[in-house]
Amino acid sequence: MKNWIRLLATTVIMAPLAAMAGGKVVVYNWSEYIPEDTIERFTAETGIEVVYATYESNETMYSKLQLQKNAGYDVVVPSTYYVAKMAKEKMIQPLQKELLPNLKHLDSALLNKEYDPQNNYSIPYFWGSTGLGVNTSEMDISTIHSWKQLWEPQYKGQLLLMDDVREVFHVALVLNGHSPNTTNPDEIKQAYELLKKLMPNVLLFNSDAPREPYMAGDVNFGMIWNGEVMMAQEEDDAIQYVYPDEGAVFWVDSFAIPAGASNVKEAHAFINFMMQPEIAKSCVEYVGYATPNKTAIAMLDKELRDNPVIFPPQSVIEKGEFQSDVGEAIEIYNNYWQQLKVGQ
Amino acid sequence: MSRPDFGQVLSFRQLVITLTLGWLTLMVIAPHALVIMTSFMTPDTEHLAVWPLSLESYSKVLQPIYFDVFFHSLWLSAVATLVCLLIGYPFAYILAKQPPWLRAVLLVLMMVPFWTNSLIRTYAIKLILGKKGLINSLLVSTGIIEQPITMLYTEFAVIVGLVYVLLPFMVLPLIASFEKLSADLSEASKDLGANAAQRFIHIVLPLTAPGIIAGCLIVFLPAMGMFYVADLLGGAKNLLLGNVIKNQFLVVRDWPFGSAFSITLIVMMAAMLWLYVLANRFVQRRGGLDDENL
Repeated sequence: MKNWIRLLATTVIMAPLAAMAGGKVVVYNWSEYIPEDTIERFTAETGIEVVYATYESNETMYSKLQLQKNAGYDVVVPSTYYVAKMAKEKMIQPLQKELLPNLKHLDSALLNKEYDPQNNYSIPYFWGSTGLGVNTSEMDISTIHSWKQLWEPQYKGQLLLMDDVREVFHVALVLNGHSPNTTNPDEIKQAYELLKKLMPNVLLFNSDAPREPYMAGDVNFGMIWNGEVMMAQEEDDAIQYVYPDEGAVFWVDSFAIPAGASNVKEAHAFINFMMQPEIAKSCVEYVGYATPNKTAIAMLDKELRDNPVIFPPQSVIEKGEFQSDVGEAIEIYNNYWQQLKVGQ
Repeated sequence: MSRPDFGQVLSFRQLVITLTLGWLTLMVIAPHALVIMTSFMTPDTEHLAVWPLSLESYSKVLQPIYFDVFFHSLWLSAVATLVCLLIGYPFAYILAKQPPWLRAVLLVLMMVPFWTNSLIRTYAIKLILGKKGLINSLLVSTGIIEQPITMLYTEFAVIVGLVYVLLPFMVLPLIASFEKLSADLSEASKDLGANAAQRFIHIVLPLTAPGIIAGCLIVFLPAMGMFYVADLLGGAKNLLLGNVIKNQFLVVRDWPFGSAFSITLIVMMAAMLWLYVLANRFVQRRGGLDDENL
């Protein structure tokens, strides 16, 4: 009841302000990472027009921002390690917390992390994992439990890998018993040697909508993001997710504001809006990743809240590892990555 | 009748020339100058490209792995070009023989699909070649095969995509060649006792050679750069030179190397155009009035 009154009060106070506000905000987000009506709701509530663009890898977003001298976009959504990198390179600006009152809804367990102490530069939007995707109508899921199985010769020319250097190397590094965030050139080289043996099994790389080749029946086994499995299951229950024994790849994607953004106030309004529990809830329901918004989690259906694909049990989280910035070593990764992709 | 204002005509001409030159400078010369300059700079991940000048990027182009991509890319493009020629040549021959109105209709029909964005058409190919796609379900349901064949995300799919996107560029110059081909020549040689094969080899083929070469060039060269076809149909493996260049710019951020690679591609293109000019001269001289051996 109290909430209801507050909502009404905010609407009454905000509505005229919103109408006056006008303005626009340019959002640059991962593809398929927001419910379709969210942007309309934001414009209806604030009067701020949204220009929306998408990317499919951190690298693309980073390159574009560099090219445009960090201008042209007002909100971007880098992954963990890119937040650290971009903050260090002064590509994103410190956030004005007073413009983000909805921050109180976020779970403190996902705030103040090593990649961005005090969350000076970023606000987590979603967190999720990369694990094994299986089409159970073609394969027996009970036998699938390890990253190692990707190397089995029976999958020659059949697998899907993420089109993301860090995620693919994560698997090989972990299998070799090394840290997935290593900067040691020898360990990276060893991982490359292992991945080279995996290449004959790879049919394609996809970080755009990896669920689609699974749903089209072109791929039955490989890597996938947990949220993509959630989305796929809306149409086809046979597509399932497995957290590998060696641990899944965990990541956080966060809102940040580029240093050269021209609509800083509107950008804060957008980020704040996305933290509204009602909005965060609809985002989880649509995108299928885990939200750091604990108020929103409490509002979710029990079925969704207890779904281990979205919200893995603590033991699974502890086994996995979160990605962090590898600094200059990323160049070593990238060179090997290019060699892998040309089939060397 | 008033005399045309000479000064005005002149200024109009100047205007056109200025516009053309301005356009070329802005859209062709300046960007290429930038790319050439970048290709000689030193890579830097934060600032993309920095001084001093170096030849390092060009030596990287010569690395063995890129040689492999290079030849692989040449091979894929060559196959696509050959397939385009095999489809396009008879097509252009038949089309050129039609009465003008029918020719126009057929040409329009050929062009209509190309009014749709090529990216969308490439997505459509995915639906046709997939494991549960049109071809596989047809073959499985008619019992010709038991298990669906993997066609999508293979080199085969990339070639299909390239042929589909580039076919009109092969057909158009060929039609122009066939239209110029006079039926009298064929009839005359027939009267002189040449059989169909002789007529084709000695008359039709040499006279349409400029069309064949022009068509092959405008299919072959763009084919190597069509990274989106290889990304969508080939599973984002670096199959074509275009993919390597795109990744150098967007993923690795080694702009000098990406630029050096682009320049290498342009130089190759120029070399091939030069060959075309030579071949054209050769073809036209044979039996022509300016043939010194005549």
